[in-house]
Amino acid sequence: MIEYQEATKRYGAGPPALDSLSLEVPAGETCVLVGPSGGGKTTALKMVNRLVEPTSGRVLIDGNDVAASDPVELRRGIGYVIQQVGLFPHLDVAANVATVPRLLGWERGRIDARVDELLDLVGLDPAIYRHRRPDELSGGQRQRVGVARALAADPPILLMDEPFGAVDPVTRARLQDEFLRLQQHLRRTVVLVTHDIDEALRLGDHLAVLAEGGRLEQSGTPADVLARPATPFVADFVGAGRTLRRLDLLSATDALTTDSPAGEGPTVASDATLADVMAALLSTDAPAVRVAGNSSVLGVVTLESIRAALRDGDGRQDPGASP
Amino acid sequence: MSPALRRVITPVLLLTAGALVVAWAHGSADPAERGALAIGELAQRIREHIQLCAVSTALAVAAAVPAGITATRPGLRALASPLLFLGNVGQSVPTIAVLALAFSVTGIGFRTAVIGLWAYSLLPVLRNTVAGLAGVDPDAVEAARGMGMSPAQVLVRVELPLARPVILAGIRTAAVVNVGTAALATFVGAGGLGDLITTGLDNQRDRILYTGAALTALLALTADWAIGSLAWFGRRPRR
Repeated sequence: MIEYQEATKRYGAGPPALDSLSLEVPAGETCVLVGPSGGGKTTALKMVNRLVEPTSGRVLIDGNDVAASDPVELRRGIGYVIQQVGLFPHLDVAANVATVPRLLGWERGRIDARVDELLDLVGLDPAIYRHRRPDELSGGQRQRVGVARALAADPPILLMDEPFGAVDPVTRARLQDEFLRLQQHLRRTVVLVTHDIDEALRLGDHLAVLAEGGRLEQSGTPADVLARPATPFVADFVGAGRTLRRLDLLSATDALTTDSPAGEGPTVASDATLADVMAALLSTDAPAVRVAGNSSVLGVVTLESIRAALRDGDGRQDPGASP
Repeated sequence: MSPALRRVITPVLLLTAGALVVAWAHGSADPAERGALAIGELAQRIREHIQLCAVSTALAVAAAVPAGITATRPGLRALASPLLFLGNVGQSVPTIAVLALAFSVTGIGFRTAVIGLWAYSLLPVLRNTVAGLAGVDPDAVEAARGMGMSPAQVLVRVELPLARPVILAGIRTAAVVNVGTAALATFVGAGGLGDLITTGLDNQRDRILYTGAALTALLALTADWAIGSLAWFGRRPRR
């Protein structure tokens, strides 16, 4: 677990880069620090591996203040991926991936096996790519090598600073999918920085929205942040499309109703999102969509039930709503 | 022509040219010229010349590369401009004046010539070391630090390999310029091919003068080729 305790960073006079951030990142979860530039996201990230030292406050890993650890030792136990990837241009892919294992003094055979395993993991055929140079790779391939390099020594914590920022949108979507797939079975503690709210909603188990001046505006699950923006800043940042985005995060079963209208209609599986249901509603004339379980129809979803589900999400924990 | 082929052809051409120069030098009927241009004499002058250049360039590298590394360390960046200033001074004072200054301290001989040449070749090496290290991709350095390399490991494993071509280019410049400048060593009695040039001038023996000048030029081209080859053969990444 990573824990920020009122971590603050000031550079000279003026507003702080990061203002008293308190945040917990549970083990095995992905926490996304999201916000516009100047929000202190990267500053917060770099406090974990001591590339930035807090002016005041602390950062704890599993209860231990990182300031008490040797920075070089600390960093070898934390995977680090930066936006521009920062592959070593004079070394081939295998040597890049092997960086931390070599620093740790692993023996040759173990390193070679680990490099092949990791290249497979990130979807690069070792036979083809092991001896390529970084300048012989596409942007997406470089990012994959960067991720493989960060994972090389099997660190429990992964820090990712705009890891998919330098590639085209199609490649980015594919890399995001792969990240989700990897994280599903690796379950690392991940702190990821992005300025892209869509990416944050997609990848994060937990979001921390930071505003200019390094203030934490809101922290919570993606569904929370979309349903109940804590401040006008957050509402503005998640944007006018937030209702549509919420449909992606809600399941069809969240809006089930039993008052089934007569007639034919499209059917979706029970693991469909409300966005899928909406698409089915809009592309046909049917007033309702059936949701099918394993053997039977669970119920139907209508426009009214979707509205109700969205209202429900808004109202459920809205401090302003009277009971 | 492939780069590899060019690497091989250049020394062949240089050797051929050298042989032609020596053959021409020996074609003289004048006993004074024959004496000054005897094989043993030529070999001795060339040996002195190479020694002067090799020692002064090596000392310049030994001083300027560490100085350049120091001046690019975080916290010591303020050192960069005064160091470059010193290098510029060394470069801009005419060589003959540097030799005269050194002469006033250490007298005549090999040592004086080496000091003069050394001062003169500091700047290219220093400037290129600073430029090469400053030009290393900051993301690569950041990644190296973030993955847990100590400052020394970042320098040796990332910065120096990446700055290598630029640093070697500086050494190459320094060495080539030194070969030409070392012809002046004759004025402080340190020998070298400059001896032939001054002998030729003083005695109005053009053949001696031209032989000295031609061999100096060939030696400069050889130095350029040798250090270029060093950079070329080292360019492949080590695993």
